[in-house]
Amino acid sequence: MNPLVWSASATLFLFGLAALILRRELLAMFLGLELMVLAAVLALGETAARLGDSEGFVAVLLILAIAAAEAVVGLTLILRVHWSGRPPETEALRELKG
Amino acid sequence: MIQIPLAVYLLFLAPLTALAFGFFILRPWKPEWTHIPILISCVVVTISTAFLAAFVYSGHGLDGTLFRWMMAGDWSIVFGVRVDGIGVAVLSMVSLVGALIHFYAAGYMKGDPGFSRFFLFFHLFYLAMIGLLVSNNYVQFYLFWELVGACSYFLIAHWLHKPTARRAALQAFMTNRVGDFGLMLAVLLILARYHNTRFAMLYTIAPGMAPELLALSGFLFFWAAAAKSAQFPLYFWLPDAMEGPTPVSALMHAATMVTAGIFLLVRSWPLIGSVPGLPNFIAAVGAATAIGAALLACTQKDLKRILAYSTVSHLGLMAFALGLGQVAAALFHLVVHGFFKAALFLCAGNVAHGSGKPTVSVDEAGGLKRSLPLTYACFAIAAMSLAGVWPLAGFYSKDAILDAACERGPWAMAAGLAIAMGGALYISRMLFLTFFGPRAEQKPGEHVHEAPLIMILPVALIVVGAFSVGWLGRHFTHLLLSGWPETVPLPVLPELSAKVSGMGLAAMGCGVAISYVLTMRLPSFDWDWRRRHPGLEAAFACDLGWRKVVAWFAAVVVRGADRIGRVFDHEVLDAAIEKSADACQKLSQTGSSLATGSLSDSLWWLMTGAAALLAWAGLR
Repeated sequence: MNPLVWSASATLFLFGLAALILRRELLAMFLGLELMVLAAVLALGETAARLGDSEGFVAVLLILAIAAAEAVVGLTLILRVHWSGRPPETEALRELKG
Repeated sequence: MIQIPLAVYLLFLAPLTALAFGFFILRPWKPEWTHIPILISCVVVTISTAFLAAFVYSGHGLDGTLFRWMMAGDWSIVFGVRVDGIGVAVLSMVSLVGALIHFYAAGYMKGDPGFSRFFLFFHLFYLAMIGLLVSNNYVQFYLFWELVGACSYFLIAHWLHKPTARRAALQAFMTNRVGDFGLMLAVLLILARYHNTRFAMLYTIAPGMAPELLALSGFLFFWAAAAKSAQFPLYFWLPDAMEGPTPVSALMHAATMVTAGIFLLVRSWPLIGSVPGLPNFIAAVGAATAIGAALLACTQKDLKRILAYSTVSHLGLMAFALGLGQVAAALFHLVVHGFFKAALFLCAGNVAHGSGKPTVSVDEAGGLKRSLPLTYACFAIAAMSLAGVWPLAGFYSKDAILDAACERGPWAMAAGLAIAMGGALYISRMLFLTFFGPRAEQKPGEHVHEAPLIMILPVALIVVGAFSVGWLGRHFTHLLLSGWPETVPLPVLPELSAKVSGMGLAAMGCGVAISYVLTMRLPSFDWDWRRRHPGLEAAFACDLGWRKVVAWFAAVVVRGADRIGRVFDHEVLDAAIEKSADACQKLSQTGSSLATGSLSDSLWWLMTGAAALLAWAGLR
């Protein structure tokens, strides 16, 4: 157990969470989301290194690839919102209001 | 496994085949031929019944299961047959008289627009009664009991265009429902306690049954029989049921409907005969019904209504005999009554047919002896049988009942003699007014014509029965003893005693003499009292006020039920629906305010949920 890596991972995760919840801009929220994913990947990679488990590294690489793909999808969606003429903020997206 | 004779299957299969063939093939294709398979089925059923009567008479008996009808948990209800003495005794009369009435109906209903419908219901009615007579448990009995009631409803209302017919049918059906409810309660009581309603089982355990259960179910049985067999509080539907075609009246009064109630009492006699006080109660109700109906029959004008009140009176006499414990005498009278009453009704039908009217009143009839000689002869013999002229059948059965009444005491004897006298009085009045005369006020019925052969021959055959069935008393007793539970005594038909026979004949002679004086010597008496005392006529027309009581009661019940229903509908049902709709709307409004559509709100909820899940997992 490496407390430095764990605390770094937890801090990154909480920063990401704070950005996701507290910020209103879609881009900032998206960054927070990515930060959370990568914090989790950091913890996973550290654990894999400690246990010498190659499958863990494979999973880390897979998640990085998926995060890249996800970034493409997320950024595209944000661009679409931007092109639709609305401000890139969550308050503008209220189609699901009951 | 008991060997079930083919005749038993034929009792059901022949009518069912005829009904199916008539309904599916002949009704759409050649409705005027519907009666052909049905008449064949009647013949088959009658022959089967004759075989079964011989089977039972020779000491055999049958109580078997045809198939399992319904199952629930560890108990089941079977569909079976019980061929024993009392069932076969009535079944012989029902199948023979019913079959002959079918033949009569083929002539009477010819050309009626509803001929096919009439015959199908008519035969279903017949089938229902046969099924009722050979049932071996109360649930099956109840099924056929209801089927009899439903068929009578459709047949009374056969001429749907007549509002009176519709009303009479509804009245008959509703009154019967009141009685059926009693039978249903009794059957449910027995079912709840014993999980079985087979007669054979109940007969063996009857002596050990709880007295309260016996008393309650016995009373409920009598209640049901009082509605079906037109006993005092519930008799009023029967005279009104005359709105149906005459063959229906004949079948209902003689064979298939009203006898069911008496048969229920006989069937249940091992259960209810031992209830203290109940037989005396039945005897009292029967005697009151018989005397009251005989009095009312003397005041009626319509031929069929006179006969209807006469049926009520005779059913009262049967209940009276049963109440005195004379099961054999009651059943014997039931059989004999079936013959002479069917003949009388069919003769009344011939008179109506000959006059070209649906019904005839004694005011219009008179002097029909010359124009309807065959009908007159049949009517006269059947009427003598009803009045109890020796050696006709009615004499023997009435004598057996009078004998029992004589043994019981002076009051019972007085009631029996009053019934005998009343019977002779109203039937000879009807005979004199219809066939003798004509009186000065009337035009002689010159254009009245005799009925065709198909409507005379069945009547003549039934009259042969009404003449001669009385001589079979000894064999009848022997027949009844087969299959009767040994734990219950069955008093056999008594031997003729000179004293009782003499008193019965004297009462009959009195009745005939009074009616002779009032109709032949004072020919205008029957008209005059009506003209002079319209209030009296009105009183008789509403059965000395009882019909008004019933109408008032029905109105109160209907209005009360209407009020209760209305209040229940508004205050409970509607309120519940509206309240629950309001609650749903409020809930959805509250719920929808939570769904802001805002992404950050959703995220907050997500976080809260995740935190709650984590907390729950941690605490566990």
